[in-house]
Amino acid sequence: MIGLLKIDHLVVKYGVIPALQNVSLEVGTGQIVSLVGANGAGKTTTLKTIMGILRPAGGSIRYRGEDITRMSTPQRVRKEICLVPEGRGIFNRLTVKENLILGAYHRLGEISIDEDIQQTYALFPRLKERESQIAGTLSGGEQQMLAIGRGLMSRPKLMLLDEPSLGLAPLLVQELYRLILEIRQQGVTILLVEQNATMAIKVSDYVYVMETGVVKLEGIPKEIESLEDVKKVYLGG
Amino acid sequence: MFSTGYFLQQTLNGVILGCIYALLALGMTVVYGILRLINFAHGALITLGAFFVYFISFRLGVPLIGSIFLVLGFGALMGLVLDVVAYRKLRGGPEVALLITSLGFYIFIENFMKMIVSPQPYAFKTPTYLNALFRTQFITYRTIDIFIIISSIIIMFAFHLFVKRSKIGIAMRATAENLEVANMMGIEINKVITVAFILGSAIAAFTGFLWGAKYGQISYDMGFLTGVKAFVAVVVGGVGSIPGAMLGGFLLGLAEILPLALLPTSFAEYRDGIVFAILIFILIIRPSGIMGVKEEVRV
Repeated sequence: MIGLLKIDHLVVKYGVIPALQNVSLEVGTGQIVSLVGANGAGKTTTLKTIMGILRPAGGSIRYRGEDITRMSTPQRVRKEICLVPEGRGIFNRLTVKENLILGAYHRLGEISIDEDIQQTYALFPRLKERESQIAGTLSGGEQQMLAIGRGLMSRPKLMLLDEPSLGLAPLLVQELYRLILEIRQQGVTILLVEQNATMAIKVSDYVYVMETGVVKLEGIPKEIESLEDVKKVYLGG
Repeated sequence: MFSTGYFLQQTLNGVILGCIYALLALGMTVVYGILRLINFAHGALITLGAFFVYFISFRLGVPLIGSIFLVLGFGALMGLVLDVVAYRKLRGGPEVALLITSLGFYIFIENFMKMIVSPQPYAFKTPTYLNALFRTQFITYRTIDIFIIISSIIIMFAFHLFVKRSKIGIAMRATAENLEVANMMGIEINKVITVAFILGSAIAAFTGFLWGAKYGQISYDMGFLTGVKAFVAVVVGGVGSIPGAMLGGFLLGLAEILPLALLPTSFAEYRDGIVFAILIFILIIRPSGIMGVKEEVRV
């Protein structure tokens, strides 16, 4: 396994309140790694810190062997990291196509963008039908597709997915996970955050369980699933 | 009671004043959309632009056509300076800090102008070709009126295309909607904000020239009420909406001229009162403005 992302003793604070305490984790190239845990465990904080939206008070983030701890968010985007935010975070007042174009913002002006938009439409035919529609009028499932499609437009090496299944009907969740596996097939490494952990753990190569700002447990899915208290607390049974 | 000609004439006057408000509102709404800042300093750009043209054209003898382009550049530069000097350090701070700063800068610039140009109003004498009078059956107009209307249409159309089509324009709209996610897309927020200030200020400075050329008089404090009214146009049209700002500008121009034209002359001194009464009325029926979208609460 080649390490793509390595987080070491990350400390993040909201004012004086600690949000992350000594979080360390590793994501290998081509893997799907999931970060599970209850609400408020620090999962989203971890992703936002990887993306440079939050500044750590301590610790380091290394990506492809390079220290990116102090880099700005746009710089990280150019390093081919992308975050698909929780609650989708699409631009409601912009059209579907404009949302996709913005996904490729850091390389706008290249001819390949039209090609990528076509590829995204091939993956999500619904988006093509709604190309010039205002994104805020899409259904929840379509918005999630748009958020992921927009993420792919940046041609990421590492994709951070924050609660992608939130608010989706069970059938759509199945479809979403098929898609996540397909994205991995295309060579994208995925760090997945989920509160509903069952599906996430199933598709993952490695799992971290967080609780109130610390990594409580880690292991391969089989180990994690077999632990009784994890089952009780996070897997709903 | 009133002839068609009189009514058309007053409508034309309202439209021309509306053009000026609409141009100012454009710059204000873009900045407000991103920073939630009521940029009072925007009004100062009107004054600065008007005096800039006055001095380089009428004192230094630069041909008027040349100074029109120079004033755009001058406004752009002032926008950049204001952004870098006044606002950039405050990003991430409370919105009210920005507001107070912009008010402070307005007051500073106004008093600075008062010192260097004196509190006396200046006559803004444009060349005769801008003052040529045309009479038709119904209305009378001057070349400058045509110039204001045409240049406003060109600027608004160009601005619309810029915001709809260009990379920075799309980024600007995205940033206005959700700054954090825009940043995640790799958009350099500071760059987008600077461009918004540069464009808005260039247009405002140019508007100062239009104001002088149309009304023939400029003064150190001309920007205050004009700036406030431009913000009224923004609010009436729907805060953050670019078409709304233009519409609001025109409505405001008409609202300022038409009621007075139709009411007895003794109402003339209530001109500004009427404008603000209309604002209050519109806000009561449509709190988010005519074309405004409901603001999501920002966490």
